[in-house]
Amino acid sequence: MTNRVYLDHSATTPVDPRVAAAMTRALAETYGNPSSVHGFGQQARGAVDRARREVANLIHAKPNEIVFTSGGTEANNLAIRGLCEASAAHGRHIITSAIEHPSVRGVCDAQEKHGWEITRLPVYENGIVRIDDLNAAVRPDTVLVTLMWANNEIGTIQPIREVGALIREKRAAGQRNLWFHTDAVQAAGRLAINVDDVGCDLLSISAHKLYAPKGVGALYVRRGVRLAVQNVGGHQERERRAGTENVPAIVAFGEAARLAREEITTRVAHDAALRDRFEQRVKELIRDVVMNGDRERRLSHLSNISFRFIEGEGLLINLDLEGVAVSTGSACSSGTLEPSPVIRALGVNDELARGSIRFSFGKDNSDADVNYVVAVLSRAVERLRALSPLTLVGHN
Amino acid sequence: MPEYSNQFKDHLAHPRNAGELAEANAVADEQNPVCGDRLRLSLMVESNRIETARYLAYGCPPTLVCGSVLTELITGKTVDEARQMTKSDLLAGVGGLPSRKQHAAALAIETLNAALDRLKVDS
Repeated sequence: MTNRVYLDHSATTPVDPRVAAAMTRALAETYGNPSSVHGFGQQARGAVDRARREVANLIHAKPNEIVFTSGGTEANNLAIRGLCEASAAHGRHIITSAIEHPSVRGVCDAQEKHGWEITRLPVYENGIVRIDDLNAAVRPDTVLVTLMWANNEIGTIQPIREVGALIREKRAAGQRNLWFHTDAVQAAGRLAINVDDVGCDLLSISAHKLYAPKGVGALYVRRGVRLAVQNVGGHQERERRAGTENVPAIVAFGEAARLAREEITTRVAHDAALRDRFEQRVKELIRDVVMNGDRERRLSHLSNISFRFIEGEGLLINLDLEGVAVSTGSACSSGTLEPSPVIRALGVNDELARGSIRFSFGKDNSDADVNYVVAVLSRAVERLRALSPLTLVGHN
Repeated sequence: MPEYSNQFKDHLAHPRNAGELAEANAVADEQNPVCGDRLRLSLMVESNRIETARYLAYGCPPTLVCGSVLTELITGKTVDEARQMTKSDLLAGVGGLPSRKQHAAALAIETLNAALDRLKVDS
């Protein structure tokens, strides 16, 4: 293998060396239990508090509104389950979208099994929900709207500010037990986030999408929002999430959040330049491609492309053989195909849904990476199309 | 890609016998109705022996590789010998597959048998 190019930053990011250095120092030096009253414990408490301030700053929240978790999935579980349990007396209806991450979709499905009603808003061909649909879906017994800020497969950005404004309107009109959660795991560090501007009540973030390690995340909980605790047995995180804090990971998260806030403009411009040049070259060199999702309202680092006549997993593994890491939302297992629910929600046919690949760029990618990937990709697509019986019809 | 053998990767990167045979006298195009994987096999059979085999495939990598390996395994075999081929033979030829991917080998054997059935009807 002569080259390795990582284009799967929406799955996870490499740990920034500056983040790794902060974490290593914490591992070696900050080993006290933050709940302990002695000096070692207070040193750890201070480190956790500093990290909490940095994570809060990233989204313009107050530090005491940040609850550290084990990651985005736990944050989404705590937000949805916790809010539903605390609000069930006011209603048992949730509004979400058809393209949520499995950690939101799965919790909503589980709530449905427990008698909750779920409205899943469509996203149409551009991958974006419509405010009119949301407005029409809100009922007197709706207690939660949970909509992702940006999608993990196609990168489309939802109209979060408009959603927040609509919910404020509904509250002002008397629906006081209606709450708004957004899964911002893909958006944090890639879009400017201000929880007060948006008016969300709950917001999930994951550290490993921000060049920090896996296993740590956070839930923003606006002051006054009641959540039923999901992890019990300790007083940590202001009684909202029991368990001794993962101090080194939280320190890393704090450092990554600081760097993301300071470098967001540079990172976004860098990723967008690479992504746009990549897409341009793909369109020039490869015919019969479909770019999935809205062209404008999307994250700057992500490109989701369907290659006609071929299947995504075959392309993914061909690219992997040449050192290029990408991902596909479709999976074939035990003779059952599960086309990506996100791509299907765009209204595209099975063939396009099966042939979709996500390329997600990051701050360490270069122009040379784009050149290499485009060359490898066009060869792999050509090779797979030469094998495909669909081209017999498709090119006639 | 730890779950796939070296011969699997080799066939995926360098497919053998890809394409169609204009002069084929046995052709089958089979599809897994559940996952949509598709394999098209065209054979040139002369004097009861498979002289040439070509394949086209759409689907997950095991389907692509099973098509390629199958054409190598059956070329030169008599029709009866080819009919004796089993899913296990093909799995051995690709260096094994994870159990959740073994349906690809079953599709390839079904396609082979369908092509040979067609030869019987046409001859």
